[in-house]
Amino acid sequence: MNDDAADVQRVLAGDVDAYAALVDRYYDRCARFAVRMLGNRDDAEDALQVTFVRAYRALDRYQERDRFSAWLYRILVNQCRSIAARRAHREKVFVREEALLLNAPDRSTSWTGEDEEFVQRVLNELDPLLREAFLLKYIEEMSYEEMSTLTGVGVSALKMRVKRACDRLRERWERIKHD
Amino acid sequence: MTDSDQHPYVEWIAREAQRPVVTDPAARERIMLAVRAEPMPQRRSRVWQRVFEPRALRLSPIASTLLAAGLVGIGVITGKVVNNRDVRPPVGEPKVHAEVPQLPVSDTVVKFVFVAPEASKVSVVGDFNGWNATTTPMVRTANDSVWTVTLPLTAGRHVYSFVVDGSSWNADPHAPLAPDDGFGRPNSVRIVGRGSAL
Amino acid sequence: MIRLAATRPVLRQLCSSLLAGILVVLCTRTGAAQDPDPLLKLDPNSRFAIELMLDSAKAEGIPTRPLLSRALEGINRKADGKTVAAAVRKALGHLRTARSALGGVAEDELIAAAAVLEAGAKPAQLAVFRVRHKDRNDLAAFTYWADLITRGVPSEDASSAITKLWQDGADDATFYSLWKSVQSDILQGLNPGAALQNRIRETPGRAPSSKSPPDGPQETQSL
Repeated sequence: MNDDAADVQRVLAGDVDAYAALVDRYYDRCARFAVRMLGNRDDAEDALQVTFVRAYRALDRYQERDRFSAWLYRILVNQCRSIAARRAHREKVFVREEALLLNAPDRSTSWTGEDEEFVQRVLNELDPLLREAFLLKYIEEMSYEEMSTLTGVGVSALKMRVKRACDRLRERWERIKHD
Repeated sequence: MTDSDQHPYVEWIAREAQRPVVTDPAARERIMLAVRAEPMPQRRSRVWQRVFEPRALRLSPIASTLLAAGLVGIGVITGKVVNNRDVRPPVGEPKVHAEVPQLPVSDTVVKFVFVAPEASKVSVVGDFNGWNATTTPMVRTANDSVWTVTLPLTAGRHVYSFVVDGSSWNADPHAPLAPDDGFGRPNSVRIVGRGSAL
Repeated sequence: MIRLAATRPVLRQLCSSLLAGILVVLCTRTGAAQDPDPLLKLDPNSRFAIELMLDSAKAEGIPTRPLLSRALEGINRKADGKTVAAAVRKALGHLRTARSALGGVAEDELIAAAAVLEAGAKPAQLAVFRVRHKDRNDLAAFTYWADLITRGVPSEDASSAITKLWQDGADDATFYSLWKSVQSDILQGLNPGAALQNRIRETPGRAPSSKSPPDGPQETQSL
């Protein structure tokens, strides 16, 4: 039994605080996906809050053979889609102030706010479905099978979305170069 | 999908996007607060609710092969992203993006003067010649200490420095300074073409 | 026949070397001054970051010329990619702030205003100049302002002095004259702040023009 399964069993046995271990284990990674997907921290935090609470509610349905992370991500991906759809009218541009808020304290792997803003802007320009596929493939480094389980989309369609996302990014680079 | 066209820009975006984001430390506590307010999940029957039911993927042999190839492609991409050793330049011949300004059809001809008795060569570098020390060499005058060059410059503000013997950058003692722009030493400013005292 | 066969590869090699040599000479001669894209000298990460910044600036209507110039300066100063990217980022930030403070101004004025911020003036001090007089160009005022702070005059003092002169309608020659005398005093060892205070008293302002000057801070009031 892995850590995730063990923690789930503890929660089901009545130890609510054991859920904190699961939250701790997955929060940062989920946050990264949510922020990259939604383009701002407020929306991302909403998505994360709902995701972890819904995952908790549904724990009774979790089975040991399932990978907790995949299961959690399915909820997260759906949440991000819902929030994006509900707030489609809002400006998707990654506001500079948000970038400053996201400015990481001295962690060697994380960014200055300014670079993050630029990359996020590029990601925001991708169609949401392409962005989602790109993030799952290259940021979460999932297999197409996992992605298909998560999103309910067929593997070949996902491959096409990833390819299109890469094409868009490449085109964008060419535009930058040739302007 | 095998990403045989692993464009370095795409790799870069992916690499940058993989960095962690800063999270609000209070957010996790808020989650736990909400969770504690929920009724305890009880172990129920193991019949899956539809919404959480994993989809059984039935792959044809071709699709399986493609998937396997795709997994190999992921490995290659990941390897490349991690290693970042042989990042190729962008596909195709890069056009001139950074247009280094050539000496323009100008508004005014401007003389630069710098005193450097010990120098064997002096050049002026600035926003008018891409800061390239080989583009605008100065000439020693009859007075051995004084180096000059006369350039056509467009009207407006120009920032410049003098480079002595190829490596020592010096501000113009007779011109206003530009603030240190991140390279440690201030440059000088010349305003051209407005009939000003500069 | 054997001899011929043996010399052919040698000949081929000779020709290739000759050709390569000619090409090297040609490229060195014609390409001496400029690379096709100087940014290629930077590591890919820094290059991409700078290209994106240039793209952002373009999208926001901020001049890219000073940003590119900053990058080229860094490259020619042999700074590492991170330093160059940081310098470009800083420049972009100052240009943005100057744009916010001043609104729409000529490119050179914007760049000079950004230099004032880079030297250490506060955006609010720059914002005083937002009220534009149609017949005035503040390039000289901004240039000397940035210089005074860079030479060590306290930012508040320099800002007050320049602003006051500006509000009094001083022309470029007046700003130049003030700067020249303060610079001379500093070079002779006078404390920069004191040098400015001495010289500002000597500097004639003009009587306010018939247009009422913009509301701004009084001389002693810090912004």
